[in-house]
Amino acid sequence: MTDYLQVQNIHKDFSGLKVLTGVDFAVREKQRHAVIGPNGAGKTTLFNIISGRFKASSGAILFKGQDISGTPTHVRNRQGVARSFQITNVFQELTVFENIRSGVRSRKGLRYNFFRKPDNDRRINERTEAIAEEVGLKGVMHVPVSALSYGQQRALEIAITLSTEPELILLDEPTAGMTREETAHAINMIDRVTAGRTLVIIEHDMDVVFSLADTISVLHYGKILVSDIPEKIRNDQRVKDAYLGEE
Amino acid sequence: MISQKKASYLFIALLFALGVLMPFVVKKYHLNMLTEIIIFALYAVSYNLLLGYAGLLSFGHAMFFGMGAFTVAVSLIHFPGLSMWNAVLLAIAMTTAVGFVTGGFLLRHKGAYFALLTLAFNSLFYAVATKWHKITGGDDGLSITRPDLHLGFTTIKMAGLTNFYYVTLLVIGAAIVFCWYFTKTAMGQTVLLMRENEERMKFLGYNTNISRLILFTFTGALAGLAGAFYTLHFQFVSQSAISVDMTTTVLLMTFVGGTGTFWGPILGAFVYIILQNYLSDITDRWPLFMGLIFVVMVLVIPGGLSQIILSIRNLASGKRNTGKPVAAEESSS
Amino acid sequence: MSEVPVFFLHGLAYAGLLFLVSAGLTLVFGMMNVLNFAHAAMYMLGAYFSFTLLRATGQFWLCLFVCPLLLFIIGALVERFLLRRVHAYGHLHELLLTFGLAYIITELVKLIWGNFPLAVNIGGFLGRTVEFFGMIYPIYRIFIFVCAVIVGLTMAAILYKTRLGIILRAAVNDSEMVNALGFNVPLVFTGVFAFGAALSGLAGVIAGPLLTTYPGMAHEILIDAFVVIVVGGFGSLGGAVVASLLIGELQSFGVLLFPKLSLALVYMLMAAVLIIKPSGLFGEKQ
Repeated sequence: MTDYLQVQNIHKDFSGLKVLTGVDFAVREKQRHAVIGPNGAGKTTLFNIISGRFKASSGAILFKGQDISGTPTHVRNRQGVARSFQITNVFQELTVFENIRSGVRSRKGLRYNFFRKPDNDRRINERTEAIAEEVGLKGVMHVPVSALSYGQQRALEIAITLSTEPELILLDEPTAGMTREETAHAINMIDRVTAGRTLVIIEHDMDVVFSLADTISVLHYGKILVSDIPEKIRNDQRVKDAYLGEE
Repeated sequence: MISQKKASYLFIALLFALGVLMPFVVKKYHLNMLTEIIIFALYAVSYNLLLGYAGLLSFGHAMFFGMGAFTVAVSLIHFPGLSMWNAVLLAIAMTTAVGFVTGGFLLRHKGAYFALLTLAFNSLFYAVATKWHKITGGDDGLSITRPDLHLGFTTIKMAGLTNFYYVTLLVIGAAIVFCWYFTKTAMGQTVLLMRENEERMKFLGYNTNISRLILFTFTGALAGLAGAFYTLHFQFVSQSAISVDMTTTVLLMTFVGGTGTFWGPILGAFVYIILQNYLSDITDRWPLFMGLIFVVMVLVIPGGLSQIILSIRNLASGKRNTGKPVAAEESSS
Repeated sequence: MSEVPVFFLHGLAYAGLLFLVSAGLTLVFGMMNVLNFAHAAMYMLGAYFSFTLLRATGQFWLCLFVCPLLLFIIGALVERFLLRRVHAYGHLHELLLTFGLAYIITELVKLIWGNFPLAVNIGGFLGRTVEFFGMIYPIYRIFIFVCAVIVGLTMAAILYKTRLGIILRAAVNDSEMVNALGFNVPLVFTGVFAFGAALSGLAGVIAGPLLTTYPGMAHEILIDAFVVIVVGGFGSLGGAVVASLLIGELQSFGVLLFPKLSLALVYMLMAAVLIIKPSGLFGEKQ
């Protein structure tokens, strides 16, 4: 099986501050891969590079065999890459429905049309409702974001990420700030909505990681310490020393 | 019960009907003012698509208004026999082209930088208009006569006010209605995304550079249309039409009327022109009065007059409003 | 060819004026991310206050000290009670406020002093000419340049040699961090804004006798000042110096060498900088 996502020797410098110093890993299609590591290890920066927000200082990102290192953000999304944000990054004054629909209609090519109204497109509206239901927001679809609870906003964050029908989903700490109960609920939801798709997830919560991940990479000081299946990672001494020991 | 949508269309039809009746009900002087109001209403609505809907503060909108105004005058003078329609179409074509080119240049920058650049560009256009005496008439300006409208089977005389008022009501009115329709279209909603979170848009597959450019060019063309009718209405144009003052005017109208609704700027144009007409009889310094209203609103009522009106209405029915325009059918207006 | 030195000196004089106006503007923009449209209006107020004071007392030197002081107070009041209030609504509103203020100030000036140019006569030592290197040159223009240099050096001294200066420079870079370190950043902002206003007012006092004192003078210098800070880079004092010199000389020689294009030269320079190095010659990448 060829690698779906290949991260090859990625370096990233920010004006002298070396955040990533040679990151290598690969993810197979429909695999669920977690990236863990201490704070400041460069996990979000890595996501930024894979999703196209930043350009790497050197190295390459290959998606489905194609080099997408220089591709603009919006093009990457159209090719099937979507990411969520650690700090909720949505359209604040719009409703939940409008938030999700903005991605759905983009996927369907309805972006700059001066004559067609999204309201009149049955398929787009149905798909939007379906996604809202999947993440458990059907009841608050027509509520503006500012009126949602934190947990609901995080659910919306994931919903928007899904709205463009991505093949590769990057979730950045989706359960950050959630309670035990909310997290359990979220694990369930993420399991459901990412079924059949490729997932890379950054997480601090080990319960989430061990519930969802097929494979794990440990990022430590800008480099991958080890990539392996969860059992091996759990028992790896280097990992324990570097990270799990700190918990 | 009539649906929200049907109610809106009914309301528009009502307004048009009222508009048709106006020449029989009001004096010539007022009809004159009404024509001016309709023209400036389009100018303000186009400006609000930038300011209220996209969150883009431009100090250069008069570039397009003035461009449209001058194109009509210059083409009518230099191409005798040119029909009114063709002059207007030429104006729209010119402003679209200018919008596209300057937009490509200006839109790389955001926020205050963008505002600053639009101001500089507007000043440049003004300076050129003033200096290029041969084409623009410089300080003296250009006078034109409204060409009659030839419709094949009949000719409608445009020299009088009433006929031109009807043309304005029809054409500019239609343009304003299209803008309202536009806010509900895909592009109209994409504009909202720009205001709310331009960054996230990219991650959803939107090319934000193109989005901005399309909007900028579109609103520029609309302002150009308004400018074209401005010249046709007054049958005169000078460099004041492309001045920073003319941008200031539309900014005031739009903001005072309220950037949070579609109809706010229309109300603003109405209030501004009425006040201008009556206050200027009383004092030379009525702009000071407008300026004070503006600053008070910026400080205390950022949603303008429409915010006041909506607040009164919501108080009566117990709802709350967010103060920014949204295009969904669920929201008010 | 003997005109060249004269034009060069003219350029220096205008550069000095430009620097006085832009220095405050660029610091305020760099530090508080507020583009103060009212800045040029304060320049105008300086000129008008000076006109009145000069009429009453005949003492130009008095104007040089009193008028900037008045503008300092006005600037402080504006920042503390108006600008800060609007801060919560966002940058757009701050811009709208300063713009509205500029508008009102201009109208008030027209109301109080009239909508026509005023003649400002200073006479005395400054009104005379001096002879050197075979030229006869007005002392006043040299005075403008000297003033600008003194102010520039003083500002540089404060910014680079004092503790206050370190705080100010840090605030230009990252005001939140400075706040977190325990410095009273709001007070600093008020101070910088007021100082910028005072500087602008001083420029107005000085410009009065040289350029025409009329309600449009604000807009006239505003564009040039904007170009200076775009070319020089936001928040950069050094950039303001270099850009002022560049534009001062450009304006001066532009009239001589390319009379038809002279108007557009400044805009072309700005366009060039925006294309090649958008953050300005000395600016930091935003």
